[in-house]
Amino acid sequence: MKLGNPDLRSRLASEYVLGTMKGGARRRFEDYLKRDAQMRAEVEGWETHLTPLTGRLAPVTPHPRVWTRIEARLDAVTARASAEKKTIGLWESLAFWRSLGLGASGMAVALLTAMLVLKPVDQGPMLTAVLAEDNNVARVFVEQPKSGMLMVKMVAPWKTMNGMALELWVVPKDGPPRSLGLINDTGETKLVLTGMDEKLAGGLVFALSKEPPGGSPTGQPTGSVMCKGAIAHMPPRLPRSPI
Amino acid sequence: MATLPAPTPNALNERLAALLAQAGLGNRAAFADLYEATKSKLFAVSLRIVRERHIAEEVLQDSFVNIWNNATKYAVAQSAPMTWMTAIVRNRSLDIVRRPFLEVQDEDDFFAINMEDERPGPDDQLVARRDQVKIERCIKGLDGEQQQTISLAFFQGLSHSEVASHLGKPLGTVKTHIRRGLLKLKGCLES
Repeated sequence: MKLGNPDLRSRLASEYVLGTMKGGARRRFEDYLKRDAQMRAEVEGWETHLTPLTGRLAPVTPHPRVWTRIEARLDAVTARASAEKKTIGLWESLAFWRSLGLGASGMAVALLTAMLVLKPVDQGPMLTAVLAEDNNVARVFVEQPKSGMLMVKMVAPWKTMNGMALELWVVPKDGPPRSLGLINDTGETKLVLTGMDEKLAGGLVFALSKEPPGGSPTGQPTGSVMCKGAIAHMPPRLPRSPI
Repeated sequence: MATLPAPTPNALNERLAALLAQAGLGNRAAFADLYEATKSKLFAVSLRIVRERHIAEEVLQDSFVNIWNNATKYAVAQSAPMTWMTAIVRNRSLDIVRRPFLEVQDEDDFFAINMEDERPGPDDQLVARRDQVKIERCIKGLDGEQQQTISLAFFQGLSHSEVASHLGKPLGTVKTHIRRGLLKLKGCLES
């Protein structure tokens, strides 16, 4: 449901910021705000206008115990969440993807990876990954045949991209995803990039996001994640024994 | 601290935004600086709504834990850091406030103050003077009852019915004053 009447929208936003909206109505409005970016903008507009009124209030110094208690609460939270690294950027599901390395994406993908990997290894790839949707439908296969290059194969293309581009990302153990470039929505794409190996170093997961034509305007993923998959790094190839 | 020259609002905003960004990256020292720079203003905002110091202290605690947890999201907010943080404190105050006995302070004196005569101290620079002058000018353009009702609601966090009972006016009348006052305010602020 979206509130359509502009007068009503403006009135709700202003009464929310003013504070006359209370209790259940306030909580329902806050829930609604999560789904309506325009209304959030309206609320932020009122906040920007009304907050300077607080310039009239004389500052009052709070007791030092307030800061002590804040610190204690942060320490408690940090202790609980120490396993989960803080990530930057808008991609809030990073922690989840990183956990994919543990095989969370299911047997189908694991089997397919195994089949693709278990071939004669003398000229095998340096890494491989099968990128699947949340329902385990495998969409894309990625491998690195040699240093500085990635081959990306669309195994099961989407019916239509509606003019949107597909951008491939590598998600490292720590830090934000790194872009590897745009890929074709059908067939194979060869990605050749200077610094490719550095970008891939420590990579746990590949992910494909839907982006505006030309790719993400921010350098970080902005659109929905189409598919993703854990990276299998191959052990370094040893020279074949002459025997 | 007192020997430092008072920073301009813009420099201060940039500093607060930088501290928030650092807090978002998990920098506790930056977060402590952010608290020091804003605590007294934000405490005053909450105290005015919840009235009791121990409740305002709780509000400040909850709000700063919230600010720490959501600091990475500040980057996508369109507002100035002090606006964003004040909204968090006001929202928490409005959530937590329970008023079994309604003792409302009179806001009339507030509006009797001639703004031009006030000299803001360094702390008042947290609010850009230019923005404050604008909203004050627009508020002064409202009629007396609109000014009074909107001010009671904003500073003390009163609901329509609380404003009505404080002023001894019918609820419908108060709602009308506030609704028309906000509409007029919007017209003035956007002009």
